[in-house]
Amino acid sequence: MSIREVLEGPLYIVRALATTFKHNARPRVTIEYPERQKVVPPRHRGRHILHRYADGLEKCVGCELCAIACPVGCIVVEAAENTPERRVSPGERYAKRYEINLLRCIYCGMCEEACPYDAITMGPRYDLADDHPDKFIAVKEDLLEPLQASLGDTARPSAAPSAQAEPRKW
Amino acid sequence: MASTVVTDQVTLTVNGQSVTVPKGTLILDAAKKIGIDIPIFCSHPKMAPVAVCRMCLVEVEKMPKLQPACAVYVADGMVVRTTTEQVQKYQKGVLEFLLINHPLDCPICDKGGECPLQDQTYQYGPGASRFDFEKAHFDKAVPLSDKIVLDRERCILCWRCTRFSEEISGERELALIQRGVHTIIGTFNDEPAQSNYQGNWTEICPVGALTSREYRFISRPWDLDRTASICPGCSMGCNIQVDARHNRIGRFQSRENLAVDDGWLCDFGRYSFPTFQRQGFEAPRVRQDGKLVEVSFEEAIAAAADGLAQARGAVAGWASPAATNEELFLFQRLFRQRLQSPHIDHRAFRPTWPDPDPDDMTLPIADLERCDYVVVLGGQEVIDAAPVLHLRLFKSERRGVKVLKIDAEQGARAREWVPADAQAVGILATVSHKKEATDLQAALGKKVKGSVRRLLVVRGPNGRGANDLGILPNFRPGYEGLNGQSGKGRAEWGKGGIGAAYIFEASPLHAFEATEDERRWLSGLKTLVMHRFRASPLDDLAHVIIPGRAFTEKAGTVTNMEGRVQRIGRAIDADAVPDDWMVLQAIARKLGAPWDYHESSDITADLLDLIPQYAAVDRGERVLWSERT
Repeated sequence: MSIREVLEGPLYIVRALATTFKHNARPRVTIEYPERQKVVPPRHRGRHILHRYADGLEKCVGCELCAIACPVGCIVVEAAENTPERRVSPGERYAKRYEINLLRCIYCGMCEEACPYDAITMGPRYDLADDHPDKFIAVKEDLLEPLQASLGDTARPSAAPSAQAEPRKW
Repeated sequence: MASTVVTDQVTLTVNGQSVTVPKGTLILDAAKKIGIDIPIFCSHPKMAPVAVCRMCLVEVEKMPKLQPACAVYVADGMVVRTTTEQVQKYQKGVLEFLLINHPLDCPICDKGGECPLQDQTYQYGPGASRFDFEKAHFDKAVPLSDKIVLDRERCILCWRCTRFSEEISGERELALIQRGVHTIIGTFNDEPAQSNYQGNWTEICPVGALTSREYRFISRPWDLDRTASICPGCSMGCNIQVDARHNRIGRFQSRENLAVDDGWLCDFGRYSFPTFQRQGFEAPRVRQDGKLVEVSFEEAIAAAADGLAQARGAVAGWASPAATNEELFLFQRLFRQRLQSPHIDHRAFRPTWPDPDPDDMTLPIADLERCDYVVVLGGQEVIDAAPVLHLRLFKSERRGVKVLKIDAEQGARAREWVPADAQAVGILATVSHKKEATDLQAALGKKVKGSVRRLLVVRGPNGRGANDLGILPNFRPGYEGLNGQSGKGRAEWGKGGIGAAYIFEASPLHAFEATEDERRWLSGLKTLVMHRFRASPLDDLAHVIIPGRAFTEKAGTVTNMEGRVQRIGRAIDADAVPDDWMVLQAIARKLGAPWDYHESSDITADLLDLIPQYAAVDRGERVLWSERT
C-alpha cells in the first residue's frame, strides 16, 4: 500500500457520504403505500370504468365490440332492450350483463379502442389484489362509475337516438 | 355462307373471362358462375329483377351508360367489365347515397355483423361521407306485428320485403308508402301484419330494418353457435340452422334446400323455438304412496321398467311423431320384443284412422311445380298443417300450374275440374282426409291420361318416419304386416286389456293430447310412464316421470312427409339429462335386452340394416318405397 493510497482513503469515504447525503435532500421516489396512493398518469391502463352520461344513463349499449376486440376473451356482454318503465341507456339497447375477468385481462386497452360510445375506458385503479379468484370477476355494478361522478359530460353521440318510438297498442 | 348452329347457349366475356350460359340468364348470374362477385342489395334470386338499388352497375361494351347487372340479360358476344374505374366510382357513389340517411347505429343493430350493407361498404364503399348535415329521421322500433320490429331509418328501400309479400307469399301485406326521400315501408293503415311468413322478411332484408322481436338484442352474429337441423314445427321438414348462444336457442334461420323449403320458413316453425328452450334442470319423479317424489334417473328407469314388465303383454306405447327415427326404432323394438306388446301408436286421437301406405308420398314437394293441376283437398286446413306448402303452391301458380283449393268433402268438384288431357295431377290432403284423397286419386286415375299422385301431410316432423318404422299396431317397420298378430291401436286402448302405458312425448308441439275418455282410462292404469320434454297435462296421472330432451338437444334423423330422411343436429348441450334413446335402451336392458349402443349413429346403422331404403339419408334423398320388391 503506497502512502498516496493511505492519504486518499478518507477522501473516498467523504465523497461516498456526500452522495448519500445529496440523495437525502432530494425528493423521494417511493411513497408510503398503502397509506398514500400513487397518482397515475392520465392515460394509465388500470381497471376498467363504465361511464355514464350527465343524466345518469349508462353509455354502454351492449354492442359487444369490446368483447370481440378483446384478445384474451375476458369480456362477456349480454344486451337487453330499454323499456319506458326501465330506461338504462339513451337508445334502444343496454348491457344487461357486463362482466370482465380481471385475472385474464391483460390491460391492453383494446376494449377502450373498440368502444363506439366511449362507454368503457381504462381507469386509474391499480390496487386489484384480492384473496379469492371469484372476486376477480368484475360485474357491471363494480365497473360502473358512481352516479355523481359523471356530471361533467353532457354530450351524447349523434348516433344515439334521444328517444325511442312510442310503443303501439299491439 | 358460314353455317351457324343455333343453340340456347350464349357466350359472353366478363372481366376478360369467357363464360357460356343459357339464354335468358342475367349478367349477375353469369358473373357468379365464374366466381366474379357483383355487389347487390335489391336483387334476389327468387324474385323478378327491379334494379332499384343501382349497386350492381357494370360496364357493358357498346352500351353508352352503365347497366344494372341484376336486370340485363346476357347476349352473345357481350363484353362486361365489373372493375373499371368508372364502375368503382359509381359503386362508391351509390353507397355514399345509401348511407346519407342510414343511421350509424350498427352497435345496437341486430343485423350488425351479418349485414350486406356493412360488408359492401367495407368492400366497395368510400371511406368517408361528404354529407355534413343532419340525417333524415324516421320512426325507430316500430312494431309491424307481434313478431317483427321495423326500423324505418335503416331501410334502404330495396323493395325485397314488399316483393316477397307480392311475389313469394302473394299476400301483398307490405307496401311502399309516400315518395322520394319520404318513402317508407308499411302495412295498410298501419294495421299489424297478419302473414305467417314474416320471419322471412328479416332474412331477406339487406339491412337491419326488419328484425325479429324474439331475437331482439339476444346476441351478435359472431357469438352464435350454428347447428344444421330440421324444423320441428310440422312434417314439411324445412331445413333450419339453430343459432344458439350460451347454450340457449337464439333463433331458427332457414338453410336453403330447394327440394323442400325453397329457402323459406313459416313463422309457426321459425318462432316455435321458445317451446324447446330448457327451463332449468328437472329431476325425474316416481309416485310413492300417491305422491310424486324426486329420484335419480337410474331409480326412475328401474321403476318404469318394473312397472312395464309387470303388465307384459298388455302395455300400450305412444311415441310422439317428433321423436327421431333412432328413438322410434328402439321404441318399437322395446315393445315388440321385450314387452310382447304390439299396442303401439303415434297418432293423435281419432275414432278411426286409415292405415298409412308408401303411396301416400308418391308426389315430392318440388314436383308440385311440375304438375299441371293440383287439388288441395281441405284448402286452408292443408296449408295450416304445413304452412310452407303455401309458398310452393303460390310459386307453382305463378308458373302456370292450376291450383284448386276445396273442402275435403267436395272431391266431386275436383273430378269435374281436372280435364281429361291433364299430364300430371297432384293431390294434397292432410292424413285425416286420406280416404277422400285416395277416392279422388282413383277417380282421376280413370279420367286423366297422365299421372295422378298424392301427398299426404302427416302430423309431426317425423310422422312419416313413425309410419315407416312401424309405430303402428298393425305394421312392422317397412309397412310389413304382422300376420294377424296386430296390436290394439290408440282408439282401442280405452276398451280394456291394457295394464300399463308408456307415453313418449318428445315435443310439446306434438303431444299426446288426451281426450276426456282417455284421461279416464289412463287414470285407472297400474303404471303410467311419462317420458317427455316439458311438463304435460298427464303428469298428474303419471306414476313415473322421466324428463327427456328437446328436439334441439339431440342428434338423429327424421323423415319428412314426402319421405326425405334428413339429419337433425344437437345444438344445445343437456348433459344432465340422458338422451331419449339412452332411456329407452336402459329400460330395455333392465328387461333383458342385450343392446349396447353408444351413439345414436350406431342405431342409425342398425336401422339401415332393417330398412335399407333409409340409406337415402346420406344422400339427402327421399326414401323410395316403390323400389321395394
